[in-house]
Amino acid sequence: MSLGGYNGKILRVNLSDGSFEVDPLPKSWVKDYIGGDGFGVKLLFEEVPGGTDPLSADNKLIIGTGPITGTMWPMSGRTVFISKAPLTGIWGESHVGGFLGPELKYAGYDMLVVEGKAEHPVYIRIEDTHLELCEASHLWGSTTDQTTINIKKAHHDPDIQVAAIGPAGERLVRFASVIVNHARAAGRTGMGSVLGSKNVKAIAIRGHGGVDVYDHEGFFELAKKAHRRVRENPQAREMGKWGTWILTAVKQEIGELPTYNHRTGVFPGFEKLTGDYIRPRFTISDRACFGCSLGCKKVNYVKTGPFAGTLEEGPEYEGLMAFGSSLGIDDYATTLKANQICNRYGMDIISAGATIGFAIEAFENGVITEKDTGGLKLEWGNREQAIHLLEMIAARQEFGNLLAEGSKRAAESIGKGAGKYAMHVKGLEVSGQDGRTHRSIGLGHATAARGADHLRSLVVVDQLGYEDVAAKRWGADKLPEIIDPYTEKYKATAVVESENAYCIRDTLIVCWYSVSWPPIFWMEDFAEMLPFATGVKHFGSVKNLTEIAERVVTMKRLFNKREGITRRDDNLPDRFTKEPMPEGPGKGQTVDLDPMLDDYYRLRGWDLKTGLPTEETIKRLSLEWTKAHS
Amino acid sequence: MLILPSQLVVDYTKCTGCRICELACTAKKEGRFQPSLARLKIVRYDDLGIDLPNVCGPCETAPCVDICPVYAIRRDPISKMTFLDNDRCILCKSCVGACVNGVILLDTKRMRIIKCDHCGGDPECAKACPTGAISYSHVSVAPSLDRHDKISSYLREIERTAQESGGAE
Repeated sequence: MSLGGYNGKILRVNLSDGSFEVDPLPKSWVKDYIGGDGFGVKLLFEEVPGGTDPLSADNKLIIGTGPITGTMWPMSGRTVFISKAPLTGIWGESHVGGFLGPELKYAGYDMLVVEGKAEHPVYIRIEDTHLELCEASHLWGSTTDQTTINIKKAHHDPDIQVAAIGPAGERLVRFASVIVNHARAAGRTGMGSVLGSKNVKAIAIRGHGGVDVYDHEGFFELAKKAHRRVRENPQAREMGKWGTWILTAVKQEIGELPTYNHRTGVFPGFEKLTGDYIRPRFTISDRACFGCSLGCKKVNYVKTGPFAGTLEEGPEYEGLMAFGSSLGIDDYATTLKANQICNRYGMDIISAGATIGFAIEAFENGVITEKDTGGLKLEWGNREQAIHLLEMIAARQEFGNLLAEGSKRAAESIGKGAGKYAMHVKGLEVSGQDGRTHRSIGLGHATAARGADHLRSLVVVDQLGYEDVAAKRWGADKLPEIIDPYTEKYKATAVVESENAYCIRDTLIVCWYSVSWPPIFWMEDFAEMLPFATGVKHFGSVKNLTEIAERVVTMKRLFNKREGITRRDDNLPDRFTKEPMPEGPGKGQTVDLDPMLDDYYRLRGWDLKTGLPTEETIKRLSLEWTKAHS
Repeated sequence: MLILPSQLVVDYTKCTGCRICELACTAKKEGRFQPSLARLKIVRYDDLGIDLPNVCGPCETAPCVDICPVYAIRRDPISKMTFLDNDRCILCKSCVGACVNGVILLDTKRMRIIKCDHCGGDPECAKACPTGAISYSHVSVAPSLDRHDKISSYLREIERTAQESGGAE
């Protein structure tokens, strides 16, 4: 059987001896894992044993693509970076848009595995079959945008796609990111510091080949139809105009705009962080990632004020939250400047903002003093100070050196009960949602494989009240509770089913937008498309896809099990479970996690007491082989 | 009735750089997804946030026609579009270097010149473009489209300042 969509090749680079190797992609992986996240978890589980130090030469970094990466399916240009995460010490993955993944496919590979450690700074250059490690000492210390331009110039090719780390990655900031196309970030969990620890400044890819799907005519027609569905969807059109900024006002309205380090969900200055305010004043152009007909990226320019002259893409809603409402700053220009620093120096804007928020709250409560901060009086709403702190983190200067470890480690080294102010799950800072006003994300934050994650199982259908979609997916009998954001009932059903669909999304790999929100494509659409793309009939049923998703989610859990994760770690900061929401529509609400966790484990086939996959589940998902690697 | 000739017309202010046009082009012409063989090219400047679609035509003069030593490229006198006759082509690559838009290519695998033929009057790229940055229309339309954009942005600006001063009172 000839497979469509795949190249059938895994490229490995061993930095320790400078060798490249091309392995065949095992055919058996395709049926069980599809691609992307699925291949990544299989490879990382087998090759990076439990207890490995994420920043050691033994850790590996995987760049993954899926069967439809590089084709015309809407939003299929995404790439995933997978590794054991330096920020959390558990499963780490970070998806990014831009143009890197398709280029890797055109160069002839499905995955790139980076192993070992180089003796001196290098960048990995891949041009079809031409593979080399290039000297990068002259690039060490430079920002991601300079690095990208330098590499393109050095090889006289503007079409090289570059994934680069900035000074933060070099200095092993725990939440360092990898930046693609100047402003697209594989942000979360610290993939940039994995590359930094291996002395890899950048990965430069150029491919001249193509992607052949199984049934070209059928797939092409289906892809065109899918693009039309996106183009005609009213919410997708709004999204194209406003990007994720559309969320700020919605979040404020439902009282879930994280403010003052998640203390409350209502921010008086929210209006200056909304799309309505930003677009006419700052936006100069709309952009898109590879193969996307929605186009949510905005390039913006600041004309006046302390950050005048800042020209940068973004930030997303999460950036508006992290350096806006969460720090009490009602100024868009500050968030754009913070985004620019995060992009250039290579840092995750969510974790950076949350760690600064932690520091401010700890200072406010006297746990941190001016002695710790080097004389800085930390305070909410101070624009210049937030930017200054961010620069200190990137440089690991003075107080920034402590914050560069992330909120969990920083709180541990401060002691004195500072952990109370660190908003993280399993070490990953909480994203811009709040379980108190949206129960299902409380469960999602607690159970997601990489920590407080909004991208693996965030149910949007309940939050925004898509009654018809909820009835179709989960059955009308579960209404109205399943879309009531203030009740724990049925939330595990919504979370598990969404997590499964998003898991397939991450194996293909396609974007959050058009799958998770707005709800355009779902399992049945993937089941219709995948046989055209790959020729694998097995992918043609939602039942089979669901089983693959369950397998991948359970494998990530088994990966975390090796690092000691159990039900005890599936928790939330006390803020969400014990401190009632102080104001807004969700006033008085807290998260009651345990009943939701019970339901979740039951649906996943994991043990209620330990939160770990049962023997029966391991057998049902044909994962017995994992025992040889525990 | 006068039939105005259509051409590939580009409005770069609308281009988001998604490269769907490159995908659609090669899906139709090559039967696979291979942007490096697309008959048009999106040039992305990530640092400036600008994306420029480069398509075949409309050219004031046609360097590809002028430079071809064997007269394999001809130009339609009315539409000003240029067409390649592959049977005459001797693969000298002169047109590749001469094309000001950089959209004539040499396919080194199958040794042939690759050049846009406007899909015989029904170009796939224009149909696939999600924003209307590439359209297949009369050249005379292009300046008036630009003017329309300019006027509507003025109107928006006037409306915005009116609202702002209204709000300040």
